[in-house]
Amino acid sequence: MSRRIGSALAALLVASAVLAAEEVQVSARADADEVALDGTLNLQITATVSSKGDQAELTLPDLKDFDVVSRSQSEQVAFTFLNGAPTFRRTTVTTVKLAPRREGQLAIEPARVTYKGRTYTTQPISIRALPPGQTPAPKARAQATPPPPLPDPFTEDGALDPFQDVHPQSRDLVLRASVDRERPFVGEQVTYSLYLLARVNVSGIDKLQLPRLDGFWSEEIEAPQQLVGEARIIDGVPYRAFLLRKRALFPLRAGKVQVEPAEVEVMTGFGMLFSRSSTRRSSQPVALDVQPLPEARKPAGFDAGNVGSWTLTASVDPVAVAVGQPVTFKVVAQGRGNVRNLALPKLGQIPGLRSYDATSNDKESIEQGQVTGTRTIEQLLVPERTGAIEIPSLSMDVFDPAQKTYREVRTDPIRLEVHAAPANASVGSQVPAQNLLAAGGLRPIRLRMTRASVEPPPWTRGWFWPLLAVGPVGVALVAGAGRLRRLLARDPAEERVKKARSAARARLRGAEALLEEQRRGSGSAADFHAEVARALTGYLADKQGIAAAGLTREELGRALLDRGHPPGTVRAVLGVLDECDRARFAPGGSDLPSQEARLERAGRLLGELEKVRRSA
Amino acid sequence: MRRLALAALCAASAARAGVSVPPEARGNALFDQANAAYLSGDTSRAVAGYEALLEEGLVSPELETNLGAAYLRQGKRGLAALHLERSLFLDPSDDDARADLLEVRRGNVDKLEGEVEDGGAEAVSRVLAPLPGRPAAVAVVALWTLGWGLLTANFLRPRAALGTSAAACFILAGAAALVTAGSAAAHRLTLRRAVVVAQAAPAREGPSDRAASHFEVHEGTALRIEDEEHGFRRVKLANGLTGWVPSAAVEPVVPAGWSNQHRL
Repeated sequence: MSRRIGSALAALLVASAVLAAEEVQVSARADADEVALDGTLNLQITATVSSKGDQAELTLPDLKDFDVVSRSQSEQVAFTFLNGAPTFRRTTVTTVKLAPRREGQLAIEPARVTYKGRTYTTQPISIRALPPGQTPAPKARAQATPPPPLPDPFTEDGALDPFQDVHPQSRDLVLRASVDRERPFVGEQVTYSLYLLARVNVSGIDKLQLPRLDGFWSEEIEAPQQLVGEARIIDGVPYRAFLLRKRALFPLRAGKVQVEPAEVEVMTGFGMLFSRSSTRRSSQPVALDVQPLPEARKPAGFDAGNVGSWTLTASVDPVAVAVGQPVTFKVVAQGRGNVRNLALPKLGQIPGLRSYDATSNDKESIEQGQVTGTRTIEQLLVPERTGAIEIPSLSMDVFDPAQKTYREVRTDPIRLEVHAAPANASVGSQVPAQNLLAAGGLRPIRLRMTRASVEPPPWTRGWFWPLLAVGPVGVALVAGAGRLRRLLARDPAEERVKKARSAARARLRGAEALLEEQRRGSGSAADFHAEVARALTGYLADKQGIAAAGLTREELGRALLDRGHPPGTVRAVLGVLDECDRARFAPGGSDLPSQEARLERAGRLLGELEKVRRSA
Repeated sequence: MRRLALAALCAASAARAGVSVPPEARGNALFDQANAAYLSGDTSRAVAGYEALLEEGLVSPELETNLGAAYLRQGKRGLAALHLERSLFLDPSDDDARADLLEVRRGNVDKLEGEVEDGGAEAVSRVLAPLPGRPAAVAVVALWTLGWGLLTANFLRPRAALGTSAAACFILAGAAALVTAGSAAAHRLTLRRAVVVAQAAPAREGPSDRAASHFEVHEGTALRIEDEEHGFRRVKLANGLTGWVPSAAVEPVVPAGWSNQHRL
């Protein structure tokens, strides 16, 4: 026995002596021969030096086919007595987590360790990179002993476990999207959660890109500003689960909907000391089958936005008021659901109350992961008569997805007491005091508006004064026109009087022409004398108004004398007319010279007759 | 800004209603909202609503009265007086506007001393303003023309009834002409009326900032615009005090858009 122990001690001493002689030992190994493209592997480089104070300097190989996800280092110093002398052994283990950049056969080049001017290298390592999602062979990966299971903080009663179907396999970083229910009703809240599962150190996230939530009304529930991990055991592997986002989704229409994947850039590594790297991860899409609201017992005119658990209350402040003073009517809907889509009942016309436009105010809050809210509608009412006025009950139908039933919520009717306004009271005295209204006396404003015309007054218009002149000008025109008409009117008798002399002269010229024809031997003496007689009788008829043809010579003579013609002239006229008659009815009784003399006498007689006319 | 506010309010109302709203109904809705704001003590919103209606070109005595009351509650006495004056111009029989205007004037800083130089123009204007000038002017034209027509008929076919009727028409036309003349006088006086809207403005001897100033006018004071030049208005107070004040400090009671007539 003692011999055995002695041999062993001798061997140990020899081995120790050999180790002491070999001052530096370096090695490298990977924890897997195969790795998926979306997975990682650990490269462990061990350097052991026999020195107390000097440290070996490690230079990582050129990892052109890998991304460095993280890097850690540990150090151990051993102290032993060897042959009575103290011996120090410093072992430094550097662990580098690597993610492959491409598929295929990859090589990890040797690492170099420099110690006291000498360089030592590790052996190269060959790694096979598989397509993303593929599982490396079990033997290719070192299995870690799983720690005891931790309590699961994620599973809630009635909700789906967000990780129940997660199998990360060899992946160190998994972005996981989940919903708490897969078959919600239209308008029912669905909680969408986005987790990052990691079994490497995560120093931060960047560029979180949530999917477009078309077809949903969404509200933020939780958006952590710091990464707080929870321990999770998935497929026997310990992970840290980081909640990145939690949103409430309210489906707007029925049917199958798919929420597209979210994306995030994950930064791994430790702070400033070691290099940080980033890796992009995408979540899986999430499918929802949105159920329509049940048609059974659906109230007529139901508004599809009224989904949730709601209560309805109404109030009036004050409940007793003077006529003409405003009161505030308030309807409040409170409960769980999408308050923004809620359709509240409206107050109709109430006799005796003048109502103004309502204002709406929404408040939302998150309680235990559920969106709750309050919608308040305020309306100003002004009573226009005294007495009791009842504001009727208002009701609203809602669909409660938890109970899967429709129900009606309603307010209580409110009684408003309106009394007469005190004498000399003004609206101004009812409002909060303001600096310049202390004296009061401001009249109530007008509640109804009339349009006024601002057209220029008529007397400034261009038509006013001319229009006033129309009457007098019209009368003047009428009077002037009458006078003009009278001026322009022609009397035929007068016309004949005016033209009597010229007509008689014309006839005498005709007689002269006939006389000329007789001289040439072609004219007739009867025609000549007839023309001379017509000249005189025509003149007497036109000028003197004596129709000589119907009168005897005596009557003609008296008529001429009555008009003031001298008796000599009258006799001469009668004489010429008698001669003409004789010459006309007794042919051959008149020669040319006597005709010329008769023509001349007739012309002279016309002048004498005209003188009397003029003088008359 | 106000047009934007009006557009936003109208768009919101239209969107809520889901139908296109006629302009008159839209105006009434905005008036109701402004009234509600006034009654609830929110005079800033009320003023914004009323001003938006004015920007839209709406002319209403009730609108001017309410705006004047809202400005008075805000302590803007000048603007309050201006809009109450405008209300009285549009509806001289509005006793409420007259009472509110008296309320404004009671608090005026300026108290005029000395004889009334303008011959009580404002009093005359106030008395004559309620006269129904416009219908009287139309009646003058109608009766005058009818009288002359009857006179013409009498000339053409003389009858006693025609002559009597013509004489009656001329008498009535004369009465209507008196009413019209009174109203025209009031109108002419009102066209020159203005109100100080600035809190205070120095009245200078000439239309220049460098001209000497012997007195100052304060918001709410009524005066008459005599002339305008180089950004200044020559104004005359009821007691004859005259000076040049910056144009922006006074606002005419009858805005330019309401009358195409030359003021001076």
